[in-house]
Amino acid sequence: MKLKHSLFTRRQFLNGLFGGWTTALLATFIYPVVKFIFPPYREPDEVILLFSDFEGMAPGSVKSFPWGSKPGILKKNDDGTYLAFVGVCTHLDCNVAYLPEQKKFFCACHDGWYDEYGTNTGGPPPHPLRRLVVEIAAPDLIIKREDVE
Amino acid sequence: MKNWPKALSTWLDDRFGLSAITQFLKEKPVPQHKHSIWLYTGSAILLFFVIQVVTGFMLILYYKPTLDAANASVARIMTEVPLGWIIRSVHSWSSTFMIAFVFIHLISIWLTKSYRKPREITWMSGVFLLACSLVFGFTGYLLPWDDLSLSATKVGTDIPRSIPVVGAWVTTLLRGGGDVTGDTLTRFFGIHVCILPIFIFLLLAIHVYLIQKKGMSIPLDAETRNEDVPTIPFWPNFVYREMVVWLVLVGILFSMAIVFPPSLDKQADLMAAAPEGVKPEWYFLFLFQTLKIFPAKILFVNGDTVAVLLMLMAGLFIFFLPVIDNKPTEWKGKIITALGYVLVVYVLIFSVWSPL
Repeated sequence: MKLKHSLFTRRQFLNGLFGGWTTALLATFIYPVVKFIFPPYREPDEVILLFSDFEGMAPGSVKSFPWGSKPGILKKNDDGTYLAFVGVCTHLDCNVAYLPEQKKFFCACHDGWYDEYGTNTGGPPPHPLRRLVVEIAAPDLIIKREDVE
Repeated sequence: MKNWPKALSTWLDDRFGLSAITQFLKEKPVPQHKHSIWLYTGSAILLFFVIQVVTGFMLILYYKPTLDAANASVARIMTEVPLGWIIRSVHSWSSTFMIAFVFIHLISIWLTKSYRKPREITWMSGVFLLACSLVFGFTGYLLPWDDLSLSATKVGTDIPRSIPVVGAWVTTLLRGGGDVTGDTLTRFFGIHVCILPIFIFLLLAIHVYLIQKKGMSIPLDAETRNEDVPTIPFWPNFVYREMVVWLVLVGILFSMAIVFPPSLDKQADLMAAAPEGVKPEWYFLFLFQTLKIFPAKILFVNGDTVAVLLMLMAGLFIFFLPVIDNKPTEWKGKIITALGYVLVVYVLIFSVWSPL
């Protein structure tokens, strides 16, 4: 069937077809490039440590452990229970320090403060320090993400 | 054959046709007026850029961009490699001088409105060159891989995360993962020595070509009054004057580099708490201080998000300045000139305030 009036010319149609093919072809090259420059990143579900390394901690003191490529901080409370945090400031990702005499976490980058339970109390941090779940299953000390069963 | 140099140059010219360029440079007029001093800032940037390229080539002969070896290789450059400390010091100081002159160059063009029609793209390519210079500085700061540079990079690469939608993506792209690790170091090295140089050479070519194509601008008041501005030839008159400036600048550069070489702290520890006194290079201090004064929350919105979005908008404003400032002689143009002064005052005050 021949239309009396065409919506576009043969030239436009062929240009569109050619442009579409070229774009699709380029996309197949660009996709692997983009995939390549973003490496996979997975936070650990849990880390298993030796409980004997942490058992002797004085109440009110902290000890760090590697949480993937971030520092984790294990804190022994005065009542002998343990709390674990990702030791990274929620403001701009600097590693925090624990100041035992003030019972506070401190981020030196922008003067961020958290209390001993990791709640943000001063400076720019917008959220509390991230908590991790501590499980003692001697001889192991298991530290998990909060959303991992 | 006693006049062989002339014969050789004629022979080469027949093939390359370079005499058109030398002829152009001899005839190219450089206007002489009360703002002429700012014309020297561009060639000063070029001088420091060339020094960066040469010293960069030298440093790369000994530098090792890996987690285990980076800090030690810089220590080796500073202590064992003959004159290595001077080369690193000159590279570090020359980056400071180059960025300082980029800022001065930008603000002088802002205040004299040399970006006005038909030089909009010259300005825009210049803004990209500024961005390139800052990324050069930012990526170079990490390469010694010490405590301070690690923390500064953690902060710097985390800032884009506050941008809605694409932020986390940008942070992962910069870091090569969720955290700053050895992968980040290698990635920054690649950007610093391979990707950015290609971009900056392309941009420089466009920038310099446009300056030749459109010629030097003359002051706004002279242009509106249609005055004749006296000129001197680019070659040799102007270039000789520039060479005097270069000589002085090289003297200052080497003096600073020898008297105040950059420090090198102990190797960065990914697990250690951030040290006290984390700060970026001086040219980021005003942005660093701006982030610091924003509260955690502004009406339920993350304070950093607001700060970063404001900075992005300021960047866009600067990029499109020649288009925005389309009536330079009217009140809008005067306000934009005033904004230039405000920017200078803001940058100075915040930079000085930051380390206090």
